[in-house]
Amino acid sequence: MTLFWKWTIAVFLVLLLAVFLVLCKMAGSPKDAYGMVRYALPHMHRGTLKVGDDAPDARLVALDGSDHFHIRERTGGRPLVIIFGSYT
Amino acid sequence: MVQIYNDYKDHADFLTVYVREAHPTDEWQMKSNVKEDVCYAQPKNLGQRVAIANDFIKRFNYPIAFGIDDINNAAEAAYSAWPERLYVIDESGRIAYRGGMGPFHYDPEEVRAWLAARYGAVKHDAPVALPATSSSTSPRTNFPYLAGAFLRPSASVDSDGTFAMAFLVPSCYKREIALKGRSINHGFGLVTMPGR
Repeated sequence: MTLFWKWTIAVFLVLLLAVFLVLCKMAGSPKDAYGMVRYALPHMHRGTLKVGDDAPDARLVALDGSDHFHIRERTGGRPLVIIFGSYT
Repeated sequence: MVQIYNDYKDHADFLTVYVREAHPTDEWQMKSNVKEDVCYAQPKNLGQRVAIANDFIKRFNYPIAFGIDDINNAAEAAYSAWPERLYVIDESGRIAYRGGMGPFHYDPEEVRAWLAARYGAVKHDAPVALPATSSSTSPRTNFPYLAGAFLRPSASVDSDGTFAMAFLVPSCYKREIALKGRSINHGFGLVTMPGR
């Protein structure tokens, strides 16, 4: 292997290590860094909605698990604050 | 958000939309989940998600109206909502406020500022500092936390000679079984919980 390729691979590995260390720092530990890359990043989307756009509609399920309603049914008379999240 | 809801529920509607789990046990579970005993696998069907949502409501007596995203995650996709996000939709059905992506840019105070600009600020008195409760005065509950080691258990002994030992099944689903006895002969020490 020529010297050029050796240096290229070495630089690449150093950069990879630096990225991994930064991720560990952000996430808190190597396990969390892996979790972030493997499970979080694929689902995090900035999206294209912006202020002024029509709010998308979606069908939601009530707490009893059987009744349904739409987000649009809750809009109209007053501002609607929507809180998206989960228990974990 | 519950405080903001209480302050402005006479002026605005609030809706919580429950989306896919952020830190399920079978994906990226965090230490805080174990500590807080919030351990659920990623729901594979709507029934599981509904059950977890109901657990959440029950545990926190959550007062805000609730809707659960279908298992195809349509609402989450439409609003780019995972893991958490805040929106305000105005009376005409348009987005009036779009919060940053959680957790780092999730800021309920921005929602408060939006509502305050429209309906006025709601002030609160400074919280009263509650007297510290000393768990050390409750020997039955003040057990040291030993992470999974098989050691002689720590126990408190009451004046009448009985003692209580707290056993904690070392899994995320904590159960505590308190046993009373007159002697400690076993060397089985288990993970114990500090007093709550």
